[in-house]
Amino acid sequence: MALLEARELSKSFGALTAVNAVNLRIEPGTLHSIIGPNGAGKTTLFNLLTGRFAPSAGRILFDGRDITGTRAHRIAHLGLARSFQRTNVFPAFTLLDNVWVAAFACSRSWRGLLWRRTESYAGVSAQARQALNDVGLIAKQSELAREISHGEQRQLELAIALAAAPRVLLLDEPAAGLSPEETRRMVALVRALKGRYTIVLIEHKMDIIMSVSDRISVMHFGSLIAEGTPAEIQRNPEVRRAYLGGMAA
Amino acid sequence: MRHAIVTEIWIFAIFGLGLNLLLGYTGLLSFGQATFFGSAAYVAGYLLKYYGIGIFTALGVGIGVGALSALVVGYLCVQRAGLYFIMLTFALNQLFYFIAYQWTSVTGGEDGMPGIPRPALLGIDFRQPLAYYVLVSALFLLSLWAMQRIVESPLGKILQAIRENEVRAEALGYNVPRFKLLAFVIGGAFSGFAGVLYAMLFGIVPLEAIGVVFSGNVVFATLIGGSGSLYGPIIGSVVFIWLSESVSVLWARWPLLLGVAFVIVVLFFRGGVVEAWSRIWRFSKRAS
Ligand SMILES: Nc1ncnc2c1ncn2[C@@H]1O[C@H](COP(=O)(O)OP(=O)(O)OP(=O)(O)O)[C@@H](O)[C@H]1O
Ligand SMILES: [Mg+2]
Repeated sequence: MALLEARELSKSFGALTAVNAVNLRIEPGTLHSIIGPNGAGKTTLFNLLTGRFAPSAGRILFDGRDITGTRAHRIAHLGLARSFQRTNVFPAFTLLDNVWVAAFACSRSWRGLLWRRTESYAGVSAQARQALNDVGLIAKQSELAREISHGEQRQLELAIALAAAPRVLLLDEPAAGLSPEETRRMVALVRALKGRYTIVLIEHKMDIIMSVSDRISVMHFGSLIAEGTPAEIQRNPEVRRAYLGGMAA
Repeated sequence: MRHAIVTEIWIFAIFGLGLNLLLGYTGLLSFGQATFFGSAAYVAGYLLKYYGIGIFTALGVGIGVGALSALVVGYLCVQRAGLYFIMLTFALNQLFYFIAYQWTSVTGGEDGMPGIPRPALLGIDFRQPLAYYVLVSALFLLSLWAMQRIVESPLGKILQAIRENEVRAEALGYNVPRFKLLAFVIGGAFSGFAGVLYAMLFGIVPLEAIGVVFSGNVVFATLIGGSGSLYGPIIGSVVFIWLSESVSVLWARWPLLLGVAFVIVVLFFRGGVVEAWSRIWRFSKRAS
């Protein structure tokens, strides 16, 4: 059974239909990529799945449970975590505090919310450090998020999503704006996370997609036009016409 | 007389601590804090005057009324953002002010509610300025300690996260409006606490205690002291009350001076006196 599922999911902004009757099934334990040209509706799809926007039509199921219309903070508690395409961290916080608030959000108990010192939550702090360690930022835990490099901020972006110990990880172009060297590291990171989490990955860089994905869905003008393994997608003539034609070479 | 001024400073500082949980930590500029301050002062003042309640009962009532009125106002405000939020806190404050102004049989309207006693406790006569000064000082330290615990708790971190990035905080699993409301209620409780101490200090609840000018003053004082730190509102209160008590006697247009101080802070020291001081300190350390 699919862990995360969209059924006939649509979202319109006025006259524009950004997501159009999308059917998507994410199987547990897989890395499922979503590709498509700029403006295809990929980020909007994430915004629907995570409850940031309410869909105009269709349903979303998580672990067999209908979560359509559930608000973002509740969906996070169910175990869906996302990273953002445009870096979206807490700039004035240290790196550790960035992941700490993420880990605390989904911790089992909020006892002492108003009076306990943050350091006294040993489990939360350990989980937060683990997330920084996973992305290789542990040495910079006391630095401020606004003072690290763009590449490091992208890693932090990922660490914040990881810190919540989610069941499904939605990654929106984690390699956006990275140098080739940083991209290589990010790909290694995503590959290392594969298997530990169910991952949905939006990415533009074709070589990354083809090498890490178990399944790929292709979006074009809001609709899914193809789905399959990397090999199937590469062979698909419609995909080549719509998307790969200009990019794959 | 000197005791009375310092007592007033501590009371205003408690008021400022409550505001700064909203302004400095959560990033919400409330222009209606006097709503909670004044409501608590009226209710507790009324009970002190006509029902002879004890001093700690009065303070408890003040905390309760402050929190409750903040719950109502906060509930209406937290869904809005930016200027709408500010205007709404302001407008609701005006509404409360108008009720107090009209309801003369209870509040005394423009004349205020006089005759608020300072009940004795354990044989201590708090009508003595020194005794009351000691009490307020102790309660101020208690408030400061409580606020420090709050801002160093997970709640403090979450409120700052909301200030920094609301969308991300929500995506992480925090019900942002609910947390803003909680900040309101806590801030309201501190305001109410201060309001009751204020009423007992002067033996009267003046109509201004629930007025928007008073709300503006606490914002002013907090920004001058520095909203970025726990101690900012305290320093702001010292500056504000001291100026208003000393300079206003010499010069009727003293708010002008305050305005100039405010402009300097906004232009050069966004972090208020606290930041200015730490900059000077760092500079002199480097120079030596
Ligand atoms: N909040 C919004 N209001 C109005 N239109 C929006 C909104 N969000 C997205 N859109 C529009 O929906 C369409 C899909 O945008 P979306 O960001 O989902 O594309 P994308 O596939 O993520 O593109 P990219 O690869 O550039 O990130 C675009 O035309 C965009 O302008
Ligand atoms: Mg996008």
